[in-house]
This record gives sequence, C-alpha cells and structure tokens, in this order.
Amino acid sequence: MIELETTTPFFQDKQEVVDEILSRYPEEGRRSALMPLLWEVQRAERYISEARMHEIAEIVGITATEVKGVLSFYSTYHEQPVGRYHIQICSTLSCALAGADEMYDHLVNELGIVNGETDAEGRFSLQKAECVGSCGTAPVLLVNDTYYERVTKSRCRHLLEALRRDEMPEPWRERGGDNEGAEKATPFGGAEGGEA
Amino acid sequence: MKVVVNDIELDLAPGTSAIDAVFAAGDDVPYFCSQEYMSPIGACRMCLARVGSPRKDRDGNWILDEETGEPKIFWFPNLMATCTTQVTEGMVIDTRSEAVKNAQNSMVEFTLINHPLDCPVCDKGGACELQDRAYEYGDGLSRFEFDKRRSEKHHELSELITLDRERCIHCKRCVRFFEEVPGDEVLDFIERGSHTYIGTVDAGLPSNFSGNITDICPVGALLDASSRFRGRNWEYDHTRTTSMDDATGSAVIVDARTGRIERVKAALNPDVNKTWIDDGTRFGHEYVDSPDRLTRPMVRRNGELQPVTWPEAAAYVAERLKGLSGKDVGIVLRADSTLEEGVAALALAEKLGTGQVDHAPRPAGSLLPSRPATLTDLATADAIFVVGDVTEEAGILDLRIKDALKGVTPPELLPHGVPIADLRLKERMPRRAEILTVAAPYRVDLMRHAGASHLYPAGGEAELFRALTALAGGGQLTDEQRAALGADEAAARQLVDRLRSASDGVLVVGGFALARREAAEAARAFARAVGVKELLVGPMANSHGLELLGVLPSHERYAFPGMLQEAKALIVSHLDPAKDPDVAASLKERELLVVHDMFLTETARLADVVLPARSVYEKDGTVVNLEGRFLPVRAAPVEAGQAEDFTGVVRYLGEALGERLEGRSVRSARRVLKRRLELDLAELPDNGVIPRLKARPAPKVTTREAPAAGGNVLIAPSMARVEYLHRNPHLNAAVGGPKLSVNPADAEGLGVMDGAEVRLRVGGVWRDAVVRVTEAVPAGLMTLPALPEQGVGLVQADLGSLVVDQVRLEVAS
Repeated sequence: MIELETTTPFFQDKQEVVDEILSRYPEEGRRSALMPLLWEVQRAERYISEARMHEIAEIVGITATEVKGVLSFYSTYHEQPVGRYHIQICSTLSCALAGADEMYDHLVNELGIVNGETDAEGRFSLQKAECVGSCGTAPVLLVNDTYYERVTKSRCRHLLEALRRDEMPEPWRERGGDNEGAEKATPFGGAEGGEA
Repeated sequence: MKVVVNDIELDLAPGTSAIDAVFAAGDDVPYFCSQEYMSPIGACRMCLARVGSPRKDRDGNWILDEETGEPKIFWFPNLMATCTTQVTEGMVIDTRSEAVKNAQNSMVEFTLINHPLDCPVCDKGGACELQDRAYEYGDGLSRFEFDKRRSEKHHELSELITLDRERCIHCKRCVRFFEEVPGDEVLDFIERGSHTYIGTVDAGLPSNFSGNITDICPVGALLDASSRFRGRNWEYDHTRTTSMDDATGSAVIVDARTGRIERVKAALNPDVNKTWIDDGTRFGHEYVDSPDRLTRPMVRRNGELQPVTWPEAAAYVAERLKGLSGKDVGIVLRADSTLEEGVAALALAEKLGTGQVDHAPRPAGSLLPSRPATLTDLATADAIFVVGDVTEEAGILDLRIKDALKGVTPPELLPHGVPIADLRLKERMPRRAEILTVAAPYRVDLMRHAGASHLYPAGGEAELFRALTALAGGGQLTDEQRAALGADEAAARQLVDRLRSASDGVLVVGGFALARREAAEAARAFARAVGVKELLVGPMANSHGLELLGVLPSHERYAFPGMLQEAKALIVSHLDPAKDPDVAASLKERELLVVHDMFLTETARLADVVLPARSVYEKDGTVVNLEGRFLPVRAAPVEAGQAEDFTGVVRYLGEALGERLEGRSVRSARRVLKRRLELDLAELPDNGVIPRLKARPAPKVTTREAPAAGGNVLIAPSMARVEYLHRNPHLNAAVGGPKLSVNPADAEGLGVMDGAEVRLRVGGVWRDAVVRVTEAVPAGLMTLPALPEQGVGLVQADLGSLVVDQVRLEVAS
C-alpha cells in the first residue's frame, strides 16, 4: 500500500498537554483520559480522523476500535470534518414547541444543507441535537459552543449574515422563563418580534 | 447455601449466580448475553425473574412471617436479571409467575423489533437461540408497525467471518470475547441506541481466535464465511471428536453433509480447550474436499501410475518385498497419526523385522516430561515461563495462559454443566501480567501480554536455559551467558526468583527449544533447578503419543530423514520429503517407494505404489495431547473414495503377506494397546483421561548431536498448516499466505517489498512464500512457517536462489 498522505502526530509537540490530561487520572484509570484527548483533537481540527484515533489509542493504551466505539457513542464528536460554524439546533420538546422544526427548515433553505451535512465551502454544517439544557429560552441554536437563545426569524437572518462575514455576533442575553411581558417568547414560525 | 427455585430446594455453593440456581433446579430461563467462561453483564434482560430473600433484624434473627412463622421473604421491588444476581441464604427465585412471563414476553417482542424475519435463508435457522427463545417465551405477535432498522447484510469483518448487521441483537458476546478471552479488544460497539453496530477500525480481525465469535453469536449475525449458505443445521451430521490440528487436542464438532465437511465448531472440554479453538483448527479443513484428492490405489506400470484395487496394490508390494530383506524396509508416519496407526506401523515393522520405523516431524528432545503439567495447572499457575511462540504452535495454550493472568480458577461444574454466569469474571479484569515471562528469538504475540520478555539470539535456547540455571544456582554470569539471556540480568534474576518461589510454576517449552536435544535437556535441568512443572509442546497432534508408544527407530541412522538414504524400500505415510530436490533424486534410487497420502505429492509422483489416505477427519482412533491426555478421535461421514488409514494399509499388506497382523484394524490395535497400557481405548470418554501408565515409555534412541549450526532462516511454528494452505482458500486469504517475515533492513538489502511473492531454497527445500516486512523479527533473521518435512529450527537459506515475483501495483484511477 502506498501512503499518499502522511500525518504528523497531533500530540507530537503537545507533550505537556498530554501530561496534564493524564495527570488528572490515576494510572489504572489511564483510559479515562480518552474523552479530554478526543476533545483536544476535535477543538483543533473540528473532527477526529482515523489517524488521530490510532494516536489516542496508543497514548491511553487501548485499541483504536475502542476509541471509535467511544467517540461514535457521543454525537458531539465528529468523524467527518464539520464547518467552521457548526450549527446545532435543539429539537427536543420545549424548542420543538417554540418552532425548532420551522427554524431547521429555514436554515435548510438558507444554507442548502440538511442535518449532518457540511457545505461545499466548509463554512457551515448543520446538526439536530437533543436538549441542550436551555428550555426556558427556546428555541435555541448553538454555533460551535456559543448559545443563541430565543431565536426568531430575523435574529436568525442577522446571525447568518454575520457568520457569512466571518463575524461571530455577541449572543443576545436572555432571561429565561418569561412567557409574558416584553420578553415574551415568540415562536420561530409565528409573527415576527419587532426587535432584532 | 439453601436456595428455593420454584418450590424446589437446592443447596448451592456461595457465589453461585441466580441463573445457575434456576438451571441447577432443572428449570429454564431464557438468556442471550450470558456465555460460559465469560463475564455476566445483564445486557439482554431476558433472564428476568422475581427474586426475594429473607432478612435479619438488628439482633441477627430472621424476620418471621407472622402468619406462617417462617422467615418472611422480602421480594425485590423489580424483576432481577438472574445472571448478575448472586444467591444468598434462603433466597427464593420465581421464574413461573405471570409477572415474569409478561416480562419475558415483552423482552422477546422488544428484541425482535429490529430483527429481520429472514430465518428461512439464515444459516443459524434451526440452531438459533433467538428463534428457540422467541418460540418458547414469546407470544408470537408483534405490535411494531414501523419500519425496521435497515443495515448491511453482508459485511465482511474478515476473510473468515461475515457479519449481518440487521440480525445483531447487541448481546455483546463477541465484543466481550475478544477483550476477555484472547485479551485483544478487536471489536466494539459503534454508534448508539438502535444505530449501534459491531465494528472495528482494524483491517480484518487480527486475532488467531476470531472464529469463536461465530460459535457464541446467539443469532445468525456472525457467520463462518467458509460454511455460509452450505446447509441447514438439521441436515448436518455432527461428529464430536478431537482436533488433530495441533498438540492440544481441542474438542471439536465436525459438521458434514452429503459426504463433505462443511464446518468445524468448538466443542466443550473443560480441562482442555473449554469452548474455544483457534482459527487454524476451525477453518483448516477445506483441503479435505479438494478435487485432486486420491481416491484409488495406484501402481506404476510401464512408467505410469495406473489405478488398481487395494488387494492388487498390496500383492504388488508383497511381491516386490520378497526380493528384499525385511530389515531394508523403512516405515515413516506423520506425527498426527493415531495411536492405532502407530500400533499398525510397529506390527508391520515387526513382521518385516525392521528397526527402520519412525514418525515425523519429531523433535530431537523428548516430549515426555518428568514433571508433567496439565492445562489446568497452566491455567491456575502463579508463575509461567514460556519459551517459544505458543500462539502459533498450540493456540489453546495461549488462551489458558491468559486464564492464569486473570487469576480466576476454572469454575466447578454444576449439575447442568459449566456455570452460565460465573460472577467472578468481570469485563476488563486486571491481568497479572507480571506472572508471565515470554522468551523467543523474535517478537511473538504473547509478549504483548507478558510482564517481561526475552529476545534471545535464534538457536540460543540451550545457552538461555544454561544461563538461567546458573542464575538459579546463585552463580555469577559470564558475558556470553549475559548475552544469551536476551534481557537484562536483573529481569532474568527476577524471573528465576519468581519461578522458584512460585507454588504452581509452569515452564512451557515450545518447538525452538525441543528442536535440539541439548536445549531440551537444558530446559529440563532448569525446570528441576527452580522446581516447576513442564509442558512440552510437540510439533503435531500425536507427537506425544507416538513417542510414548515407541514408534521410533532402533538406531540413529534409521531415523527420518536419514532412513530415506538407508532403506532400500520405503513406506511413507502423509509426508513429502521429495520437496527437497536432492532427496527426490535419492528417492528415485530406492528399489520400492510406497506412498500413503491424500494428494499426488512430489514424493507420490516418484512412487511405485500410491495408496489413498484418509484425512484426520475420516479416522477413528486415539490421540495423546501434550499433557499426556488420551483423547478419542472419531470419523466424520466424509466421502473419501477408497482411502484407508494406516491400519488399512497394514491390513491389506498383511493379507498379501499371508498374515493377520496386529493393528490390522482400529479394534485389533486397541487390543494391543489394552494389553500394553491397561487402558480400554474403546471406552474413552469424550473429554479423555490422563492415565497413570504402568508401562515404561520406550526410551528414545540415543544419538550424538552435532554442535548447533547457524542459519539465516528460523523455521517457526504456524497456526495455519502450510502444507495444506493453498487448498484452504479462506484460511489462506486470512493469514495472507505462507509468510516469510523479514526485518525492514534486510528487506531493503534483498530488494523485496511487503507482499512480494518469492521462491527460495531453504535448507534444501524449495519454498514459496509471501514477504511480510516487520520489525518483529530482528535484523539478520527471517522466519518461515514449518512443514511436516521441515520442522521448527534454524536452517540456512540460499539467498542467491531467491526469485521474486513481479509485485503488482494497483493504482486507483
């Protein structure tokens, strides 16, 4: 077999990071370091390639198959490259009631990709997620690790415009739980709230 | 410990699981995830039962039921998985109530939600645990109206195993098997929930024991690729016999249909292989059905081999023998011949009056240990020293060593057999790697599991043992001795101390050390010095038995292969010495060459008479494994034309010579053995016996051994029998052909690449091989798998003879 692409080990020049992670666990629990190491790779490369699985397996002393077993269990680890802006839409009950499905359809139309896909440019990727723990401010979407709460159509539009300019807008702060008054939740598909 | 199962009172040992209590009571409870010899995990939830136990009050008295005055039973609030529940004093287990029935019913329904209804085309149909349990415990109705999970139906996990991902019910047996038994986590669950599937990121299944997962899969998800779609379970003739593949004598079931072996499965022998076999044993049978098998005797007439009848062939041989003195006849059997065939060979030799009788391959060192260890001793040892590559040599040794690393003794058998759930076993148990030391001339697989390893110079086994014995004697080592250790002196000292202080130490001596008598004797001296038992691994299934029986030459000169030059007439069974062109030339000069074999080998082509031989699956007889255990071998109903085993050869030859020889049949040979060994082999139990033999074993001929000759190729043991590899297509594809393992530096020097097909003359024999470039072998040494005619040991290869086939590069366009 001819290796067409040679990969430099990710942790080659990050020994102190590895040592720090391993130091959190006792020697017999070395395998526990698997999760933070996976996270380290994904943060830097936005996905975990098979070469990285082998590398991590080597570090924690298990097989690459087991590494894959763990990372495939969690939907937040990616085996395929995701976009620079990985958008996750909560689609569990509270957000669904507040119009998460409409928000998803809207994003599909806007971005031209569906659940699990990345656009050709590598800018956006879309993923439906289960409850992200912000039911009071439904509907919610995440761009990478940043929460954007109580998303309306216009907020969504502004957000996408900003991301297309490669700007991450500050998330608007919301106080959860109010269903009355100025901060009354507006379902995504419903009448547009005035402000943006 | 008193336990009540559905009103039946039992007395069980503490630590027993509730599921075993149910079976011990003669009752039944369904289960999918539990498996004998593996950890119970309670994953499938099929074995639910209502369980309760009495309680004691603060004063330690049983809390009594006010009405009956008996201890009151406090029921667990929910149904319990009996496989992970341990029995307690007075526990009551109920598997018959409505609540339990409902739960079983619901679990069957749940398990069937995503299971395809393709039983009519499924190989497991008729022998499927899910099918049986659904029939017994389900109510036959499904309320699931949605689409089933669709997934890959024919996923090739390896060349040997095909996975149907739709049929998988996620019992985790296969995943646990790899982690718990051979200790290599090859498979794992990938994804989650109903998307979960069994997968691996490795190419194929890098394990010598992968076939076992097809035996333990409770459904038709994991199937033996060599027998897929070959027959239904009820059509097979099942023959419980003993494997003749290696020296462990593993129990197997040979499944045949319409005269053809379709598959080999593992059978239970708690003292030998438990329920596991290696892939060589399981998949190495396809050669038996090869279309080029010999089915009729042939005699050379006018330079051509022509078919004749057995009596004609025998009469021809008898006629030709007349002109010769009996002592000019040499008889040689392959070392996986049965004891009965050995008796036949000895009877024929006696009739002819020749001392030229032998079996091959036969190591120079004796296989009869003075302090024999059993496989159970090995599995319960507290210090193990392995010299050799046992994973390839006799795979079951590898697994039993790994049992010892877990430190869990083999379970006591219950009335229903092996405990279904042995609660002492856990997933990812800590292994006592420190008790195991492995020594070999190259990096062997078992070293990954060992606390320490010695990489000694090839051919230096005698020096290694002598140096260790010197350490045991408290002496100082010379520099040469230090070099012979293949590890630093402190590690060697630790090994010696561990073995000496061990109460149950075992020394496993593989082929490398047995190949030379001085090394075998040094090994024995070392075992004596540190006080450990010995397990000597013979090269073939009945090596131990044939030496015990004394199928040995009367003089060193007459030993195989020397006999090929000495004897004027030769009767060669299952061996192909003519692979060496020089030997072939000398065979042409023999006055009579009789070859008893399954195929028209190089030697058979030169023969005057060719007799069709039965394969190891077609014989009845007895084999003695490396522990000295006598095990029964039974013939499977396989179409073999007029093939006979060696007792048949002796019967026909005896008739032609006008005498009814002892050993003319299995029955007659057993009469001889009964006299000699005081053992009735017709009555041998399936699992065999290790008899206390009164008869002294025949002494091995004493020979002077030439000093160790160097070499550049180490003939090494191989799980897959190389002589049949090209007739075993599945196994051949899985192991990647006969491998010439070469260090990267040497590969560059030789100008060969990984995967190149080469031909070279090694120790006289022309060998075909596929190059595997690997760091596992040291620079300056290559390894090549052993043949029956080319036993384990160091030989010289003529590197000038190396022919490299053009390597084909496939470039994807």
